[in-house]
Amino acid sequence: MTPTDAEQALTTRLEELRSRYLERLPDEFAELSALQGRLSGQEQDRDVLDELQQRLHKLAGSGGSFGCASLSIAARSLEQRIGAWLEAKELSLDAPTRRSLMDEIEALSRTVPERPERPERPAFRVAPEARTTSDNTLEVWLVEDNAELCRQLQQQLESFNYEVRVFRSIDELKGAMESRQPDLLLVDVMLEQGRENATERLVDCPQVQALDCPLIFLSANDDFPSRVRAVQLGAQGYFLKPLDVPRLVSRISQIFQERHAPAQRVLIVDDDADLAEHMRLVLTAAGMEAWVLDAPREIMETIAAFRPELVLMDLYMPEYAGTDLAGVIRQHEAYTHLPIVYLSAETDIERQIDAMGRGADDFLTKPISDLQLVAAARARVARARQLEERINKDSLTGLLKHASIKEAANREVLRARRIGRPVTLAMLDIDHFKVVNDTYGHAVGDVVISSIATLLRQRLRQSDIIGRYGGGEFVAVLPECEAEHARRVLEDIRRNFASLDFGRKGERFGCTISIGMVCSADYPDQDGPELLVAADEALYKAKRGGRNQVQQGVPAHTREVTD
Amino acid sequence: MAELQRILYVEDEPDIQAVAELALETVGGFTVKICASGEEAVRDAEAFAPDLILLDVMMPGMDGPSTLEALRGIPALAEVPVAFMTAKVQPSEIEHYKSLGARDVIAKPFDPMALSDQVRRIWQGAA
Repeated sequence: MTPTDAEQALTTRLEELRSRYLERLPDEFAELSALQGRLSGQEQDRDVLDELQQRLHKLAGSGGSFGCASLSIAARSLEQRIGAWLEAKELSLDAPTRRSLMDEIEALSRTVPERPERPERPAFRVAPEARTTSDNTLEVWLVEDNAELCRQLQQQLESFNYEVRVFRSIDELKGAMESRQPDLLLVDVMLEQGRENATERLVDCPQVQALDCPLIFLSANDDFPSRVRAVQLGAQGYFLKPLDVPRLVSRISQIFQERHAPAQRVLIVDDDADLAEHMRLVLTAAGMEAWVLDAPREIMETIAAFRPELVLMDLYMPEYAGTDLAGVIRQHEAYTHLPIVYLSAETDIERQIDAMGRGADDFLTKPISDLQLVAAARARVARARQLEERINKDSLTGLLKHASIKEAANREVLRARRIGRPVTLAMLDIDHFKVVNDTYGHAVGDVVISSIATLLRQRLRQSDIIGRYGGGEFVAVLPECEAEHARRVLEDIRRNFASLDFGRKGERFGCTISIGMVCSADYPDQDGPELLVAADEALYKAKRGGRNQVQQGVPAHTREVTD
Repeated sequence: MAELQRILYVEDEPDIQAVAELALETVGGFTVKICASGEEAVRDAEAFAPDLILLDVMMPGMDGPSTLEALRGIPALAEVPVAFMTAKVQPSEIEHYKSLGARDVIAKPFDPMALSDQVRRIWQGAA
C-alpha cells in the first residue's frame, strides 16, 4: 500500500508538533538546571525537589509521544529517585549526590535524538473517511544497462503504478542519490557487460550505506561472493535471470507492504512490576505494542484479547512458575505455535535446559540490556511471522489460503457486529480462467493470478484481508468499510485489471474479472459462512450478467423489492 | 452496541493536547473536545455529551481523581466510562485508579499512532 495524502498530511503534522516540542525543550532543561542549582543540602530543598519532580514527571509523560523515548525513560528514572528522597523522613542531600543529580539533569538534553526514535515506520492508518486508494506513486530506481530488460521491467512496473527511473551505471546512480532517495532500488549486479560488479562498487559507497530504502539485486549468475556482498549491503532480494517479472513485482509490493506491517505485539509476564513496566516502555519506544499481564489467572483471556506474537515470561514468580503458565498456554491448541521466551536471573545451564523442555522456545538471562531485549523480541516475532506466512499463505501469491481467509471472514463478521461497524466481503473470479490456462499454459495462468494478487494488495487498505480461495478465485475482507465505498474500490480494481496486458511470445491478451460483494449491514443476522455464500451468489449474478462487473448481494427479505 | 464517537480529553499541557487531538481525530476518526483543566471539564462535559472521557492524572487545580469525582456527580455523565492518562503506571496505582471508578489507565507517553486503538479497546471492554 502506498501512503495516502491523508497519511502524508498526518506525518507532516506530527513532525510539526515534534519540532514545536523540541523548540521548547532547551528552556525546560534550563529551568531544571536552575532548580537543581538552588539545592543546598538542607531540609528546605523539599520545595525545590517537589517542583523538579513534577517537571520531570511531565517530561517522562510527554517525550515518547514526540519521538523522544529515551528522554522519557531518563526523566522517569530521575523522577523516581527524587520521589524516594522526598519520602525519606529527613532530607539531606550531600554534595556528591547533588553533583550526580546535576550531571544527570544535564545529560537529559543529550537523550534527545536528531531524528524521531521510531526505528521502523509506524503502522498507521488514517480515519475511515479519509482512507482512499492512493494516487501517490512510489518511485523505483532501476540500475540496468541492458536496454531490452530495462524496457520490459519499466513497462511491467509502471502498469502496477510504480514510477520507474532508469540509470545506466553506478556513477549515474550516485549522482542522483545526492539530491534524493528512491522508495526502492533495483540494481543489476553485472553492469558494463560484466566489467563492473555492482555489489563491489556499492559496498564502499557512503550513499548506499546511508540508504533508507529497500534494495534488490538482479543477477545473471549465482556467485556466492556477490550474494554475500548483497547481504552485507542489506539487500532484501536477489533475483536470478531470466527474470520472473511477476514474482519480482510481487516481491516489491510485499516489501512495501511489510514497511507498513502492524506493530509487533509482545506480552510481558513478570511479577517485578517495575521491571515489567520498564520492558513495556522499552518495547513501546522501539515501535512495538507491549502489554503487561496483571493477573496470572487471566493469562488466557489476555492472550485472546491481545493476540500477542511473543510472550516474555519470568521463570520464577511467587504464585505460579513461568513453566506452569507456559504449560497452560500450550494446552490450548490455538497457541501451540506462540513463541514463549523465559526471562530469568538463572545462569545454571541445566535448569535452563529443563525449563526449555517445558513449553518455551528460548531463554534470556537477566539483567538484559534494553538493546538486547528489543533485538531478541523483534527477531522472534519476525521469525514467527515468517513461519505463520508459510503455514497460512498461498506460495504463488503470498495471500491467505482458503481455510485462513474463511476464518478471517468469520472473525471480521463477528468483530463488525461487536463494534457496530459494517464489514464488506467480496468474492472475485477471473473470467474464463480455464481458457487462459488451456490456451497459453499454466505458467501464463500463474502470471495472471499473481497480477490480480498484486493489484488487490496495492489497491486495498493495509487493514483489509485478502485470500486466494481457489484456482482463479479470490476473497477480500474489508473491515469497517461500507458497501458504497467498497463498491468504488472494487470497481477500480476491476477496471485496472481489465487494462493489464498479458502475453506470451509476442501474443498479447487481456483478462477480466467478475466480483460479487456483500455488506454485513444488509445481513444483520447472518454469520461469516452465510455471508460468503451470499457473496458467491452475487458473483454468480455478475457472471450471468455478462462478466467483467461488480454485483452486490441483496438479502432475501428485500429481494422482491429491489430485484 | 453504540459506536465510540465522542471523546472528551482533559489535559493541561498544550503539547500533549495537540498530539492527542491529532492522534484521536486524524488517526482514530473520533470527535474530540479538549479541556485544559478539571474545572473546565466539569463545566463543559455535559453539553458535549461524550461517549468516553480521558483524564490526565496530574493537573494543577483539580487533578484527575477529583475531576472524576465531580463528573460522577453529574447525573448525565454518571455512566460514561473514564480512563486515566498517567506517566505512573505501577500495578498498585492502576488498581487504585480503577477503585476510583476508572475503566482503565493509559500509560504516558502514548504513541500517537497507537492511542486510538488503545482507546477503542478500552471502549469495547467497557461496553
